[in-house]
Amino acid sequence: MSVPLYPLASLEQIEETPSLKDGIPYDLEEDLRAYGCKLIHQAGILLKQKQVAVATAQILFQRFWFVTSMKQFGIGDVGMGALYLASKLEECPIRMRDLINVYDLLLQQATHSSTSKLVSQSKHAVFKYTPMSYFGSTFYDLKDALVVAEMQILKRLGFHVNVVLPYGTLVNYLRVLGLTSKETVCSRAWGYLNDALQTPVYALYAVPTIVCAAILLATRHLGIPLPSTPPNCWWELFDADWEDVWSVCGHVMRLYRERDASDQTRLLSMVSKKGVRKWLDDHAVLN
Amino acid sequence: MSLPSSSQAVFEAGPSTPSRKRSRWEPHEALHDDAEMNEPQPPLKRRSKSKGTSLSDPRSQAVTPEPRSQIRVVVERQRPRHSIYVPPRTHHPPLTPSRSVYSYERLNSIEEGSYGVVFRARDKETGDIVALKKLKLDDEKHGFPITALREVNALMVCQHENVVGIREVVVGETLTQVFIVMDFIEHDLKTLLTVMPAPFLQSEIKTLLKQLLSAVAFCHERWILHRDLKTSNLLMNNRGQIKVADFGLARRYGDPVGVGGLTQLVVTLWYRAPEILLGATTYSTAVDMWSVGCIFAELLLKEPLFQAKGEIEMLSMIFKLLGPPTTTTWPDYSLLPLANTINLPAPHPSQLRQRFPHISVAGIDLISRMLAYDPEDRISAEEALQHPYFRESPFPKHPDLFGSFPSVAAGEKRRKHPDSPHAPVRAADYKLLTEFDAP
Repeated sequence: MSVPLYPLASLEQIEETPSLKDGIPYDLEEDLRAYGCKLIHQAGILLKQKQVAVATAQILFQRFWFVTSMKQFGIGDVGMGALYLASKLEECPIRMRDLINVYDLLLQQATHSSTSKLVSQSKHAVFKYTPMSYFGSTFYDLKDALVVAEMQILKRLGFHVNVVLPYGTLVNYLRVLGLTSKETVCSRAWGYLNDALQTPVYALYAVPTIVCAAILLATRHLGIPLPSTPPNCWWELFDADWEDVWSVCGHVMRLYRERDASDQTRLLSMVSKKGVRKWLDDHAVLN
Repeated sequence: MSLPSSSQAVFEAGPSTPSRKRSRWEPHEALHDDAEMNEPQPPLKRRSKSKGTSLSDPRSQAVTPEPRSQIRVVVERQRPRHSIYVPPRTHHPPLTPSRSVYSYERLNSIEEGSYGVVFRARDKETGDIVALKKLKLDDEKHGFPITALREVNALMVCQHENVVGIREVVVGETLTQVFIVMDFIEHDLKTLLTVMPAPFLQSEIKTLLKQLLSAVAFCHERWILHRDLKTSNLLMNNRGQIKVADFGLARRYGDPVGVGGLTQLVVTLWYRAPEILLGATTYSTAVDMWSVGCIFAELLLKEPLFQAKGEIEMLSMIFKLLGPPTTTTWPDYSLLPLANTINLPAPHPSQLRQRFPHISVAGIDLISRMLAYDPEDRISAEEALQHPYFRESPFPKHPDLFGSFPSVAAGEKRRKHPDSPHAPVRAADYKLLTEFDAP
């Protein structure tokens, strides 16, 4: 059986992303991508959506920013569009209204916790969600944005929305390496694969490379030795190159570094394209 | 998903050069690519065996200079040889947005179905003739319709020589204009069967059926059900090749079928499997195989096998031809939702032999296994390809030896046009031929 081929970003798209061309620095784009994926993930959990649909949505979301600038579309809208689209692709469609409400809740919650942190630690107000009105314009505006985002994802990805998920490959590789008896390795590697969904790696590298990186991180963390000196390097069994595996590991590990609360607040203000544009204007004045 | 076993995943790497890493980003030369994709790598234990030799050792520095005559071999070996399960990065397509529909020049419309309009068009850049199918997206309440998504996705997943090729999806000015660009194929089998003077020969039927089965096997292997196989959805070019088309009702399936089950509103009535007619919601690949059986029969008869007007008539026609189902031919029959509402006729044996008096024993066996009542028992596409019918005389005819016909879809000589004031001369001849053939 032939291997399914899925789209990956080209070298030009990686070297200069559309957002970078618009003046959004690389690390800010990276943070916004990660935050957008976190929102997709949280929304997926609240909607009790299948993990395959959530993962597919995150991969489509990551692909999208190699063909579109964050100045043109907000990570909130595109995240919603990606989850809506992926749910159809995985044959588990969700209701628009549920999705919109969940995103609204998540963003209100995030705003609440970041402002209350800044104000004072002692006066920690309890979060209370204010639902939008059923026939209000907020809902219809969000619904329009969702439909547009879904269509734009399809159009800008040329309708190449087939996604290959890494989980089956992980199970096979762990079997080949004789690691399936060690439950900690399996669950840890599985976790790295899920965390990697918040990074662009699924739009950059083939699945075997990413799976090797997850196994490498898991085994190194747990101190399990695998043959790693030339000519016997275990990742070569799976056609992965060391440089690529290492780069994926770097992408994943960057997610875990310590972050300021102000970084989080900055991201929150840039969930919509309006916020991104405002940020760009402010920083254009400074330069 | 790649499922490398340990031996297949090991590749034999050539001597490494410093430029090797960067070369992943460059297109590999065609020669190398072909060699890589076509020949499966031998399952190697070579790594351990040939440890001493420098050629199979990826990190070794010392390479003895090769004689000039072996340069080609050296070139092929310089790059890492991937297992066929892990194609190099450059084989994956880049992320490319949809082009505009204005890259194509519209020629004539081919047909208008309930799902959209199909045009014949010319690619302005390459001059290729293509079929443009406009998707109906008006007043959608749920965003992009899931049926259209399934169609596009199924076509992209099922790229096979006997499935109509999808070239790209293009968009018009507004977000409601989306077109699937497919290879233009001259005929559909339905029209061809009605206009051709004599039925296909046995050897031709075998070729067509084999092609159809390999396409269906390919789709099923990729977890796609077609759910609307019929002769009018089988396109045929002038080189004896058929292509499965119209994935408008296709969808991915799982094993077991997911929650909620599948709809019964699928497959054109004449080709619809009995389990769907009886209300099953957990049907699977066997429904496509029933349709293939109906198509096989239609090729032999030169007319559809079951031409029923409604579902009840359809069931009674099936029962009449095959004999009513029994507990041995279909153990789970009574569990089907609508089984209680049907009065089975008196038991009688299958009438297949009487209906197809001129076909071989193997042929009857194949058709009866495609039209088996029990979906569990019905032959799979993969099994059918191995059936003795294809290995007995007359052998399948080579596709190149098929005759060619004028294409109705391309607007070539419309032979059947009674109102046309200037009927082509040959149409008259042709009419004589059909009348002569008629019983």
